[in-house]
Amino acid sequence: MTTTKSLNHTPLYEFHRKHGKMVEFAGYEMPIWYTSTMEEHMAVRNHVGVFDVSHMGRVDISGPDAATFVENLLPTGIGRQPNGKSVYTLLLNGDAGIIDDLIILKVTEGKYLMVINAASRQKDLRHMQKVATGLDFKMDDITEQTTMIAVQGPDAAKALQPLTPLALSETKRFMHTFSTVKGIESVITRTGYTGEDGFEIIVHDAAGGAMGVWEALIKNGAKPCALGARDSLRLEAGLPLYGTDMDEGTNPLEADLGWVISKDKQNYVGWERLAELTKQGPAKVRRGIVMDERIPRSHFKVTDDGDKEIGEVTSGTFSPVLKKGIAMAYVETPSSRFGEVVKVVVRDAPSSGKIVKFPFYDDSVYGWKRRAPQQ
Amino acid sequence: MSNTPEYKVADGLFYTREHEWARITEGTARVGITDYAAKTLNDIVYLTLPSVGKEVKQSSSFGTVESIKAVSELYAPLSGIVTSTNKELTNHPELINKSPYEEGWIIEVRHSKFEEEKKSLLSPKQYEEFLKSLEVEHGN
Repeated sequence: MTTTKSLNHTPLYEFHRKHGKMVEFAGYEMPIWYTSTMEEHMAVRNHVGVFDVSHMGRVDISGPDAATFVENLLPTGIGRQPNGKSVYTLLLNGDAGIIDDLIILKVTEGKYLMVINAASRQKDLRHMQKVATGLDFKMDDITEQTTMIAVQGPDAAKALQPLTPLALSETKRFMHTFSTVKGIESVITRTGYTGEDGFEIIVHDAAGGAMGVWEALIKNGAKPCALGARDSLRLEAGLPLYGTDMDEGTNPLEADLGWVISKDKQNYVGWERLAELTKQGPAKVRRGIVMDERIPRSHFKVTDDGDKEIGEVTSGTFSPVLKKGIAMAYVETPSSRFGEVVKVVVRDAPSSGKIVKFPFYDDSVYGWKRRAPQQ
Repeated sequence: MSNTPEYKVADGLFYTREHEWARITEGTARVGITDYAAKTLNDIVYLTLPSVGKEVKQSSSFGTVESIKAVSELYAPLSGIVTSTNKELTNHPELINKSPYEEGWIIEVRHSKFEEEKKSLLSPKQYEEFLKSLEVEHGN
């Protein structure tokens, strides 16, 4: 591609270039697939896959006022969480519009690590600088000094355990621990963006060595997986993609993310507007639609049974597990009940589907809650 | 790119610049998409095809082929009436990835003016040259 010269590369770029089909993503040259999106997707659902997620932004927050800062910033009460917790939450503007979604690791009372979206990194940092005014703490963008690898799937612990002295069974879902991976200082957090059990590891590899971790995980049975599978996996799990399924024009209630709001919390950015919105209830809401046939795509219109327009698809794909088209869509609240029959207009052809709960798959068979022994 | 896969171009077929092929026999033609098209789409998971008896026109869309990520139009390499569609593809669209020129054929057409229409189609050699020119354009 002619535009690739100005693009950023992650420390694992040489592997991707050699084995993957490359595309531009959020200013980075990243693989869209290595062998096939379908194979990579199913490897994660049934075994284990590894993703280079180094393009995600990583920000260290530490100092005397760090706790005050995260409380002022976020709708989720972080102070009440135990040390070692990894929390999914949102950055909101004053109108309760979503600036970004993120994972924040509460290391201690005075130390946090935030993982934010690549495309939102600069605007998030500007927003955080504003909220930080007058507070005594340090905010360090450590994106460039670290490599981030996601190990995802029911066999994730099997692939990672040989590389770390940490007993992975002791780090539970949505918890994290500082340890080493192949001898390199790392944070291991039991989180991910696939719906499966797994780990995201932030490797402090300023001196190199991340490629060794990546290759060792592959040697331990993990299949290299790229952006195509990352997108189909997160969609099948019902996880929204920032910039596609929500943006600053969307509030948390519409995005079906009201659960991140700590009800008894006040005085964070957006809380007054959010209190009003909670009273009113959202006019539209993010929902999943499973199609009888055909594949929904973003911007396709959603109608009710009588062909009245009631919403719009924001993400759509073919679900490798269901073998059907699935969509995330914003649907007018009165028409958003689970089980409701709707239509998605696929290139002029209204095609029937049904509103369902996330995730799209049966979570007793797939995903981290599945009824199977976990290490 | 060092990993550019080799794209198979089958002998004895006529090709379009939109990456369809036609295998001509007396009166009828089988139509499909090329190895390049299949590999570029990656996993093919869904097709919308015309019903038997429908008229297709050269260079006009006669259906769509979809991968997990994207939708592509299918353009008819020649005009005629659809006499059959590949029913195996309904449950096994991946046949197009596995065998784009044989088991992955898409429709059969009774052609009417092939002699005239073949002027705008490419020979295997011309199609190969065309693929090379695409690689250059994309700076690979």
